[in-house]
Amino acid sequence: MKMIPLEAFLAVSMILFGLGIIGIIARRNLITVLMSLELALNAVNIALVGADHYLGLAEGQIFALFIIALAATEAAIGLGIIISIFRLKKVESTDEIRELRG
Amino acid sequence: MGRLIIFGFFSTLAILSGIGIITLRNPVYVVVALLSSLIAVAGIFFTAGAELVGALQLLIYAVAIAVFYIIVISAVPWERAKKSESHYRFEGLVSLPVVLLLYIEMIVVFLLGIKASPEGKIVKFIEKFGNAEVIGAILFSKYFVAFEVVSVVLLIGMIGAVLIGRKESQTYEDDTT
Repeated sequence: MKMIPLEAFLAVSMILFGLGIIGIIARRNLITVLMSLELALNAVNIALVGADHYLGLAEGQIFALFIIALAATEAAIGLGIIISIFRLKKVESTDEIRELRG
Repeated sequence: MGRLIIFGFFSTLAILSGIGIITLRNPVYVVVALLSSLIAVAGIFFTAGAELVGALQLLIYAVAIAVFYIIVISAVPWERAKKSESHYRFEGLVSLPVVLLLYIEMIVVFLLGIKASPEGKIVKFIEKFGNAEVIGAILFSKYFVAFEVVSVVLLIGMIGAVLIGRKESQTYEDDTT
């Protein structure tokens, strides 16, 4: 059962999470920032499922299900906000949004 | 051994797609890289023996969310985004050592926590009943309140997305003229 070591899951998870964080910081486009966030959430899911595989538990997979559901909500609301920002201000880059008033 | 090879293939694919997500310029290419990364992560879930999470990853992420991103990208004109600069290069380079520190801290904390956690209490049940049944039993008994709260959060998120993303009458006329 334990053919894949836990460190392999952790390594992949850390690498993907760091890529997602760098994407969130360094991307200029709003939609690609959200996509980097999805990548980071997926990396967390890999860590949870890998820990389950190592420990023989099922709780991590349940938390992974919750994370997937909340990621769907986050994508819906975030894309709605991006569409309304674009419609009101005609900008799509993070450094062009300088004021909070619509 | 074969499982390890499959895991290596999927993790390599996921990491390459992740590099594509943070480096490609065109948003449509980024969505394709995200889709490839999501499918690779689903493959990692399957090799780890989590069939239910892998199937839901394919259904929710790779179908629903990726198609949603495609629809939003096609609804918004991106010509200016392609012309202008697509990255903050200086900020990305400065944030690299911070992210490496974050890596090291996460590894240390996780390896410390592994030693303190219970090991393999229900592994017999998983081998007897299968993964999805065990997850369903635990989800609907021990985490039932959290499950219901997640459904309420989904409902509120749906209402909020509709309210935020709807077109108001004045801006609609401005768009068409």
